[in-house]
Amino acid sequence: MTISQIIFLVVAGFTLASALMVVTTRNLIHAALFLVATLFGVAVVYAILQAGFLAVVQVVIYIGAIAILFIFAVMLTRRDMRDRGPQMNRMQWIGALLALLIFIGLSFLLSSWDGYSAVAQEMPADFDTMGRLGEALVSPDAYLLPFEVASVLLLAALVGAVYVAYTRR
Amino acid sequence: MMSFSDFTTILPLVVLTAWACVLLLVDLLIPRNRKGITALFSALGLALTLGLTIAQLGRQGSGFNDMVVLDGFSVFVNALLLVSGLLGVALAYGYVKRMGLERGEYYTLLLFSVAGMMLMAQAADLIVVFLALELLSIPLYILAAFARPKVESEEAGLKYFLLGAFSAGFVVYGIALVYGATGTTALSGIVAAIPSSSTLMLTIGAALILVGLGFKIAAVPFHMWTPDVYQGAPSAVTAFMAAGAKVAGFSALLRIFATAFPSLGSSMSDVLWALAALTMIVGNLIAISQSDIKRLLAYSSIAHAGYILMAFVPFGNPDVRAVSVAAGLFYLVSYAITNFGAWGVVIALEKAEGRGLALDDYAGLGRKYPALAAAMTIFMLSLIGLPPTLGLVGKFYLFRAVIAGGYVGLAVIGVLTSLISAYYYLRVVVIMYMREGEPTTTSEPYLNMTTAFAALVTVIVSLVPAPLFAWASSAVLKLF
Repeated sequence: MTISQIIFLVVAGFTLASALMVVTTRNLIHAALFLVATLFGVAVVYAILQAGFLAVVQVVIYIGAIAILFIFAVMLTRRDMRDRGPQMNRMQWIGALLALLIFIGLSFLLSSWDGYSAVAQEMPADFDTMGRLGEALVSPDAYLLPFEVASVLLLAALVGAVYVAYTRR
Repeated sequence: MMSFSDFTTILPLVVLTAWACVLLLVDLLIPRNRKGITALFSALGLALTLGLTIAQLGRQGSGFNDMVVLDGFSVFVNALLLVSGLLGVALAYGYVKRMGLERGEYYTLLLFSVAGMMLMAQAADLIVVFLALELLSIPLYILAAFARPKVESEEAGLKYFLLGAFSAGFVVYGIALVYGATGTTALSGIVAAIPSSSTLMLTIGAALILVGLGFKIAAVPFHMWTPDVYQGAPSAVTAFMAAGAKVAGFSALLRIFATAFPSLGSSMSDVLWALAALTMIVGNLIAISQSDIKRLLAYSSIAHAGYILMAFVPFGNPDVRAVSVAAGLFYLVSYAITNFGAWGVVIALEKAEGRGLALDDYAGLGRKYPALAAAMTIFMLSLIGLPPTLGLVGKFYLFRAVIAGGYVGLAVIGVLTSLISAYYYLRVVVIMYMREGEPTTTSEPYLNMTTAFAALVTVIVSLVPAPLFAWASSAVLKLF
């Protein structure tokens, strides 16, 4: 087992454990902080995959903006920081069984895939990830159209969010 | 480099999106009590786009490195979507005013949704399919909740949003598996990569995409949200949602499966067979026990998703693919037009606070408002598939294509479930003509126009269906 594999296993375990805590802890602020930990774990996975730019974006946007907004929203709208409702419902064992079956199925599926055992190539040191990413996003031969559609989509979502949240007087 | 042809491939879409963005600003200048002007502007945008779409007839091409295509299929579907958008605006015009929902955002969101649907019809890359799916869905979630703070409408919006997000997850996972198997998301690339890729992974990816889009078109067993959402959403939104989302979902399914996955035909056709049969049976059986017209039409819409799915079963068979795609397109037109007409009648009878929606409220309509009752009778006959309506012609072409594909059993199920459906559709007619009652209706010029237009098209096109079917037959998918 190489060093990077050990690092990956530690990080993945940490990420999954924090993700589990997000949904099981009853304190909403703790849940938000565990969410930050989860997102940070994902950022480290990006870094291991040599996607440095995505790792930075993950930290800046997901942790720096979205998770902090969560905490603000929880603090500003809730007087009670604890969730007192039941955490499980009647379907818990069926759900667990289904999740287990899907996990086994997916593991089987992915292990039969020929890319499963392939080792990622080392990227050259002077590889310009950010430049390539930027060009891909705005080049008509690459992802210009999806990029623009995403911006229209966000505009529509923004208009809708304002409409739904705005209280008329 | 971007060339002009990239741009002209999606010119109608670009115009419509730009129009929607500008309309958002123009709406600020329109006084609050005169938002009907926004409606007229949005209709103008849709009409202009429709003109540009028709001008694309007979052209073929692809743009943005094969991310979008322009072919006979996309022009046909786009024209249908734009007509649906126009009818949706016409139904909403008086309705939102009457229900106190008149806001400029309604029309902008509707335009964004139509743009998403059009992109869906043209998408030839799974990433674009996903973005188009979101662009058509998100405005619909908000439109479903447009009557907030009315609880039913909020529930409809939330339920649609949560299940929509859930189904989008299926689509993304499916796309990821297809990418894993083929190394690309472009339909053209997938076709080229299929011989050397893992069939198991590809099949599961395609199945997950089918599940995700199955939610959108309300196929059983992914239909759970439909009755509640159709009932809770404002009726004008439901009418648009039932037609538009279904047309867009089916066009994406047809394009993805017929162009990229024909090699999966042998394994997927049985699944689709079961899905279509189940959807027809469950939708029609549950519709029998409904006493609310909105829920009845919701289950009817589920059942019709089953009929359209029939056209989709033989997608892997190149001999009958063209004729079944044409039959599917024809049926989509027939369903969309009839659907708008039926919802037009519902809107005419609906009152504030959700009254006027029970089937009993239709008692006496035949005597008091003969024209409206006659129109409703035409739509009910068309939904069953009886002459002299478009529904009959649509079902005829559909069953013929399915039998040509070798699925006689499925056609038999289709005929039997149509017989079952006659029970609850004809019950509406019986209540209208045979029972005494004092219904009151609202008469609005655009609403009446929509209902009359739908009734006329339903009857006249059924008498001379050949030109429309010829157009549908020439609307072939561009293959890679």
